[in-house]
Amino acid sequence: MSRKIERLINLTIALLATKRYLTKSEIFRSVDGYEGSEETKERMFERDKEDLRNLGVAIEVGGFDPVFEDEAGYRIKPEKYSLDLGELSGVQIALLSLAAEAWRGAALDTSAHSALTKLRSIGVESDLDALPAIAPRFNTAHKDFQIITDAISKRSPISFSYLSSSLDIQMRTIEPYAISTRDSFWYLAGNDIAKSDLRTFRLDRIHGDIAMNAKGKEYEIPAGFDLFAHLENPESARIATVDIRKGKAHLLRTKALSNIDLGEWDRITIIFLDAQRFIDLVLWHGDDALIVEPADIREKIIAALNEIVAHHG
Amino acid sequence: MAKPAQTPLGRAARLLDLVPFLASHQGIELKVLSKVFKVTESQMVEDLTTLWMCGLPGYTPLELMELSFESGFVTIHNAETLSRPRALNEEEIVALLLGLDVVIASLPIDRDDLRLIGADLVKRLSIRSSIPSKLNAIPATTGSVRATIESSLMEKGVVEILYHSSYSDEVTRRVVTPIELREENGFEYLWGVCHSAHALRSFRLDRIQEASPKPRDIETLSLFTDNQSDGIPYTIATHSRPREVSERFAIDKEDFSSSARVISFSSEWIRRSVLASSGSVEVVEPEVIRTSIAQAARLILDRYESH
Repeated sequence: MSRKIERLINLTIALLATKRYLTKSEIFRSVDGYEGSEETKERMFERDKEDLRNLGVAIEVGGFDPVFEDEAGYRIKPEKYSLDLGELSGVQIALLSLAAEAWRGAALDTSAHSALTKLRSIGVESDLDALPAIAPRFNTAHKDFQIITDAISKRSPISFSYLSSSLDIQMRTIEPYAISTRDSFWYLAGNDIAKSDLRTFRLDRIHGDIAMNAKGKEYEIPAGFDLFAHLENPESARIATVDIRKGKAHLLRTKALSNIDLGEWDRITIIFLDAQRFIDLVLWHGDDALIVEPADIREKIIAALNEIVAHHG
Repeated sequence: MAKPAQTPLGRAARLLDLVPFLASHQGIELKVLSKVFKVTESQMVEDLTTLWMCGLPGYTPLELMELSFESGFVTIHNAETLSRPRALNEEEIVALLLGLDVVIASLPIDRDDLRLIGADLVKRLSIRSSIPSKLNAIPATTGSVRATIESSLMEKGVVEILYHSSYSDEVTRRVVTPIELREENGFEYLWGVCHSAHALRSFRLDRIQEASPKPRDIETLSLFTDNQSDGIPYTIATHSRPREVSERFAIDKEDFSSSARVISFSSEWIRRSVLASSGSVEVVEPEVIRTSIAQAARLILDRYESH
């Protein structure tokens, strides 16, 4: 195994150091580790090239020389090989380190750690003291999280079982566009192939494995697609006026846009997107929160309360 | 947590990353180096021995990398070709982009300077990614709350928190000795001894509004009497919205049918949860909870009539 690894490293060094394209025969002659019959060497080289590509090392093919029967040459361009985020200061390294640290114990931990090691190798000292003491963390999300990010970057459709709102398990196949997290939940958006429409899924409602359909057709992701902007289509946003009891309904209070003091009560305004979720939230607060406006929401709340009385009366 | 790859490919990747790290950390202790790359010391020695055989074509001492590590401290020379770190791969970029977003959202309001630096980094990473969509990460917890709790966990200290209990809808100040941070059902909880309640309590992290370290002078913790109640068993029937009901009442899909047996720890929580289900849930028994829910709903209806 060590021989194979040595050969891969030596090949990388040789292709990186060369200023011109190296032909296969030059490589076999000069790079350590290519032994055996011509056919064996060819096979070794093909596998090594594939392996380096899998490691993300871009090998360029070119330099056809008309004098020598069009033999292809190979090289690795240093600017493609190495990390280049422009000049980075200690503060920038510190911010990127915190970003990587947020994954500790969560889905992309391994990648975040290797990214951090690369950043530390730039040789710029991280200036953590310049940052306030913050320590954000991701939660674990789905066990197949990496398959989703991989599928998005490869533009490959994925399939999974999803818990529908009626609690059936449905098989869904989507072209994934984006993955994002908010308030402890992870969301995945993509084009649902069967429905040929954009859909959003909560990762904790995906049951079992996520499968990548390598044979699926490649697709386009709309540039700048923003999952939350899509979820929170501002056109569907409405404003409600709610009376909340002093010293109560803290959750609603934190969302208030404005607040008028009515003595025993405060009259607040609040933005909501999903009417049902908003009604649920107001009802959680019992008789400490009463809807003033809009009228249709007020009516729905009264209807829900009558239903509760009917169930329990 | 994923183990570092032991496949030939995984090892080759590690060796390629090892060279630039060593070049920028000359004289690093073998022990520390092994930790950075999450391998045993003997694996690290094996890696270094392999690297030693590598270099530019020719492979005379002039072309080979020069490594020394017998003393327990590692230095590398003659490795210029590989001395710059490799480019970030797609998954590393995704991890950093989402991570940066959550870091930026956790910054205090008065740090616009850092927000600008963060936004610039997001831009630099985005153009190197093949993903054209935005990757958003909005944290549930105030970043500084977490940092305070983490440091008091490390120093075995005490924290004072401002906590919003959603059951009682009250914000209270409590002094807590943190024991651990745990993740349950996607939410993070602080487990600790609550000095005010003299008992083990859990606090949902996103409901802690403020946290500040406290001096450890209240050492005499009368060790908590474990008076956790056994919970209140009750039965619910579902009339509509089964997914929301199963999630709210934490009933496994497998156990879910039109009626389900549930146990909760607070009658307050049961009452609020049934109200907040807007009529999709009915408590079948016990009678006492049924009655209290009917009363609560009538009370709110009365308020609406006069309001």
